[in-house]
Amino acid sequence: MRCGGMVLQRIVGPVAILEAQSLTKRFGPVHAVNGVSLTVGQGEITGLLGPNGAGKSTTLHMLLGLVTPDSGGITMFGLDLQRHRTEVLSRVNFSASYLGLPGVLHVREVLNSFARLYGLRDPRKRVADVAELVEIGPLLKRRTGDLSSGQHTRVQLAKALLNDPELLILDEPTAALDPDAGERIRALLVGVARETGKALLITSHNMREVERMCDTIHFLSAGRIVASGSAASLAADFGVVDLEEVFLKVAREGVPA
Amino acid sequence: MTAIAFEPHSVNARWRRIAGVVYRDLAAMRRSPIRVFEILFWPVIELVVWGYVTLFLQANKVPFIVSMLLGAVLLWQVLHRASNEVSIGFLEDVWSRNLINLHVTPVTPGEYVTGLILFSLIKIAGGLAVMTTLAYVLYGFGLFTIGIGLIPFMAVLLVLGWALALVAISAVLRFGEGAQVIAWSLVFVFQPIAGVFYPVSVLPEVLQWLATAVPATHVFEGMRAVLGGAPIPWDTLALAMGLDVVYVGVALWLYSATLRHARSKGRLSRFGE
Repeated sequence: MRCGGMVLQRIVGPVAILEAQSLTKRFGPVHAVNGVSLTVGQGEITGLLGPNGAGKSTTLHMLLGLVTPDSGGITMFGLDLQRHRTEVLSRVNFSASYLGLPGVLHVREVLNSFARLYGLRDPRKRVADVAELVEIGPLLKRRTGDLSSGQHTRVQLAKALLNDPELLILDEPTAALDPDAGERIRALLVGVARETGKALLITSHNMREVERMCDTIHFLSAGRIVASGSAASLAADFGVVDLEEVFLKVAREGVPA
Repeated sequence: MTAIAFEPHSVNARWRRIAGVVYRDLAAMRRSPIRVFEILFWPVIELVVWGYVTLFLQANKVPFIVSMLLGAVLLWQVLHRASNEVSIGFLEDVWSRNLINLHVTPVTPGEYVTGLILFSLIKIAGGLAVMTTLAYVLYGFGLFTIGIGLIPFMAVLLVLGWALALVAISAVLRFGEGAQVIAWSLVFVFQPIAGVFYPVSVLPEVLQWLATAVPATHVFEGMRAVLGGAPIPWDTLALAMGLDVVYVGVALWLYSATLRHARSKGRLSRFGE
């Protein structure tokens, strides 16, 4: 059955975890997101790239229910996000380096609290498991307010893995990490996606990271997806050697004709 | 759903999520002795000041019943703390830029507020226990001399305080962090109108009419009546409870509407910046 399922999955493509259709959001005169549609399949790592102000964070926040789209629809696991918010959010998680955590609490207490907020059956065991996975065991008794930015990012990531999410949304997941820690986190995330079939949707300004991690990349510019594909196909389409040059072309010259 | 979690709409999951909010706030209080100090400091100062004012008035033969003023101080603390503790619980999430983390969990707004309310009850009970003991030791006033009426009196004030907290939270959601001053001050708008330390009859007629629409008015008037030897005014207490229902209804509507507005205008995202 499993083999048959895998063969079928190869033929029809990965099962869609997230489907966003024609998302639009205006903030006053600014068209922050303008008709964005994207699909993320099971086990797929999707990157959302674009210059500052392109609409990446607004898109992510719409997918998380933090911002209501003016038009368009979001379905996750076949459920409409607006109508099934609790079910959907219990299967999704989010990490962003710019978010804070209660500074007076110890890391263990923060994670224990979030484990409960996700309705986990055995919060303490899950916290111990995730701490081992993300290698933050020595930090558990430290106050979150005393952590370095790199340690804070790892704790945020641990928080995001607590509910064993089927879709992990990451805004700049390795932004504050040194190259070694960043590499280990990337390896962890790719391993998690490949081994468990989790879907990842990430934004990053680290083009090497995106090249190495993502199966599919969407370039956003002025609220629109202007190019999509694998890193290699995008470079070929734009007639450049790598994703960094694609980024520079999109940022400086806009969409190719 | 993953096997490690309860089914999201089950009672177990709901309670676990509410417990998550309470656990977080309890842990924060345990880690921050200054917060415990803050809970006790102002109520105790207020009790001491008003207690000695009462003793001074008694010594100067001013016809005054000591218990009325001390009872008012203690019951006012119930209302004040109910409002402030819930607002502060929310503001802690704003200050620590944790609000987005919370809003991407399956916790519903109702569960979040329930968690804040339960935690506020713990803090109020602790603070009130200390104040009641002090009032008895320093001035010989036992809060329980109010009798069985103490339970509905306190219930009306707690519910009103929570409703005011929801209004304050709504103001912050609508206008941003700058509106947090409302969280501290909203409850004080009701202090002069509700006749906390004096009978409503001393107010101008217009304010007297306004006072009847405030649930707390009926509590403080009722407390003075009971301490003066009258029976518990159940009819006005019932009116106060009815008013509480209206206040809570309006506050919940406002909270829900401002949350929708914050999501629509992208304001919720800005709490992460």
